[in-house]
Amino acid sequence: MEIIQSVLNGILLGGLYSGDLVIVSTFLCMIIAAQVTGSLLLALVITICFMAVIGFLLQNFLINKVLDKGDEPPLLVTFGVSIFLSNVLLLLFGADARSIQSPITSSNVISSNLVSVSAVYLLNFVVAVLVIGALHYVMKYTYFGRSIRATSNDVTAAELMGVNTKRIYSYTMCLAMASAAIAGLLVGMTFVFYPSTGTQYLIIAFGVVVIGGMGSLLGTLVGGVILGLAQLLGAYFFGAGYQLLAGYIVLLIILTIKPEGLLSTAARK
Amino acid sequence: MQFNFNEDSRSKFKWGILVLLLAILCTLPLWAPEYFVMVFMLIFLYMALGQMWNLLAGYTGLVSLGQQIFIGLGGYSLAVITELYDLPMLLGLFVGGVISVIFALVISQPIFKMRGVYFTIGTWIAAEALAVFFSNWTYVRSGQGFNITASYDLTTVDIYYIALVVGIGSVALVYFLLRSRLGLALMAMRDNESAAETMGIELYKTKLKCFLISAFVTGVAGGALYLSIAYIQPFAAYSIDWTVAMVFMVIIGGIGTLEGPIIGAVVYVVLKQFLYDYPGISMIILGVLAVAIILIAPKGIMGTLHDRYGIEFLSARRRSKDVESAA
Repeated sequence: MEIIQSVLNGILLGGLYSGDLVIVSTFLCMIIAAQVTGSLLLALVITICFMAVIGFLLQNFLINKVLDKGDEPPLLVTFGVSIFLSNVLLLLFGADARSIQSPITSSNVISSNLVSVSAVYLLNFVVAVLVIGALHYVMKYTYFGRSIRATSNDVTAAELMGVNTKRIYSYTMCLAMASAAIAGLLVGMTFVFYPSTGTQYLIIAFGVVVIGGMGSLLGTLVGGVILGLAQLLGAYFFGAGYQLLAGYIVLLIILTIKPEGLLSTAARK
Repeated sequence: MQFNFNEDSRSKFKWGILVLLLAILCTLPLWAPEYFVMVFMLIFLYMALGQMWNLLAGYTGLVSLGQQIFIGLGGYSLAVITELYDLPMLLGLFVGGVISVIFALVISQPIFKMRGVYFTIGTWIAAEALAVFFSNWTYVRSGQGFNITASYDLTTVDIYYIALVVGIGSVALVYFLLRSRLGLALMAMRDNESAAETMGIELYKTKLKCFLISAFVTGVAGGALYLSIAYIQPFAAYSIDWTVAMVFMVIIGGIGTLEGPIIGAVVYVVLKQFLYDYPGISMIILGVLAVAIILIAPKGIMGTLHDRYGIEFLSARRRSKDVESAA
């Protein structure tokens, strides 16, 4: 489910806080569901709206302001925001591991001696495919999607064609945050989480995008599968401790050999 | 505005103040309370870390989030040398620097191929990978870590003098580095990379030199930090928190200035000590401060002071006299 969220990261190149925003939405979902609504679905809807607004404000009032000042300032601003968020979470919720409980989390769709597929994993997969499908539609067939692609290809050219690129960045951020909210709930239902888990998701999300190629939706799917496989094989051959390491090393190798991604549009030129 | 009259007496005055300051710092343990000495020790060590991150991000354009690699290597070298082989502690610090340089050399090959954000994330991933690797490596006692017993015999004052040498040494190193040929090359690169390359500057070599220097000093400073912490464990040694500290210090003090990391280190350490019982809050304040500074005064405290009032204690620029004598 990191895949969903990574898709938009590729477009908002340079954001370092996606991982922490996923965890923020995980906590938000948990709190809203437990305290206000009692229903996870309703909590998710509220979280999506809330995160979208937050994302817009962040992009519009913080990052767009430093966008013209070179590569480093936006990077450092997002880094600062990320550290800020994870420490606020730590302060509010403590360092304890938590999880979101619901009927789905403990049941299996198929359970036999040979295979068992848990309902959450199936849900993750279905949601991932749905979100990627929806994003694919938006990116390919709407005016908004076309202007996003134009902006990520060439900012100057897009502006000459009448696209307000900064506005586009802000709206893309809204979209990214909405999917971060969905990813957040799924993460919370699938794994235990604590305030500092964000880093891990940032690296995974970034890795998936890098392996697949920035801005390529199919590449994102492929990247997710490659990273997942690398981790599985690493754990199988070298022991469970090396699961993460295998993923990181594959990521570093791909970054070295083909920094623009395996299926990037740039390679096809 | 710079005052140009009486350049000679001005520079004598400046050196006088520096020597006096150095004398005060050298004798600090003789008259100051121990807590004070401890705070200054931390300031010096963080100053060295900040200075090295600044050398990369502020002068070379390499925004690394993987400096904790060298802190971890420095700390672990110290632990292995003193615990497993019973060799002297100072050798451990030195070996930490050397191993950091070797590792930097090895990863520079792939990592320099990445640009911008990729380099940033690449260094971070390398650090996370090392953390996982060390937590599975039985030679360094896996996730269990080491108690660095060699540091038990040391007093705060001993570590203070080590920190003093590392901290002042790092400032002096960067000061003279920037005034050397390498420094001129760096400034030319910062202003216009392709023009600099046309003038015969080897970009790759220049960047690599800075990367290796920063690895060495960060490794030694990391070892010294672990003398005062006295316990090392992989996920703390390779934690991003180290680099977070460097980033905040340098941004607040002033990125791309020599004095920036010094001021940043003072702000960082004092704030951390002041809010010692609430570790999260100091990071939240620093985060807000850093983001606000990037938005309002992107050059940090020192850069802004310099732009507005021409205040500069340690100039990286050579005056015409120096240039003539160098040429």
